[in-house]
Amino acid sequence: MGIADIPIFSMLRTRMEWHQSRQKVLAENVANADTAGYRPRDLVAPNFERETQRPVIGVSLSTTEGGHIAAGATDRAPFRSRAGGYEVRPTGNAVSLEEQMMKVAANQMDFQAATSLYTHSLNLIKTALGRR
Amino acid sequence: MDFLRTMAIAASGLRAQAGRMRVISENIANADSTPARPDADPYRRKLLSFTSEFDREIAARTVGIGRVRPDTSDFRLKYEPGHPAADQNGNVKYPNVNSMVEMTDMREAQRSYEANVNLITATRRMLQRTIDILKA
Repeated sequence: MGIADIPIFSMLRTRMEWHQSRQKVLAENVANADTAGYRPRDLVAPNFERETQRPVIGVSLSTTEGGHIAAGATDRAPFRSRAGGYEVRPTGNAVSLEEQMMKVAANQMDFQAATSLYTHSLNLIKTALGRR
Repeated sequence: MDFLRTMAIAASGLRAQAGRMRVISENIANADSTPARPDADPYRRKLLSFTSEFDREIAARTVGIGRVRPDTSDFRLKYEPGHPAADQNGNVKYPNVNSMVEMTDMREAQRSYEANVNLITATRRMLQRTIDILKA
């Protein structure tokens, strides 16, 4: 069982992947900020409430004793995207640069929070291993 | 690697805005380019359009420069009887370039360029944070 299979790490990884994909979508929006007829898109945030309660599907190791940690293959679907933008210019373009910049900043800060959490969680494991 | 793709998309935006700047500067530089003869046409303003194209390699919609088309609006007429290109009535055809329009267009290009640079900076920082996990 790898470190990535521990729930907190897998969740943080999902979160980071989501931020990564979102950054890409935001870059598309900004690059096309002056393209006629372009409508911006955004990604729907992953729902972890469901993630934490969901039984592990796919091929997984069975837990026969209380001390076992469940490890499984979780193949996730790509993140869902949704159309955004409510302010359409005469050219049919609905990208608002200010809005996109706000989203980029928020995305970056949330990503930093996720990486910090990841680092701290790693430190927790290192402490448990007695390597600190 | 999605971050590198993000940068590629932003770079396509930078390229497109730089191309737009080139056309704008061409228009501004030629704002007073009159013809040499009375029957000839002066410089005609150029218009650039952006196209959104799907890049299969990075699986994203990047921006590209479409065709550069001439502006078909009328030329400005100025009364200058002594000008070598003046017609019988003493009017000279000046290019259909309005510096005010070009200026606003330039500001918009600059703003979009900055937005793309901002995105690259933010993405670089995120990439750096990911690498920092290794150092922990």
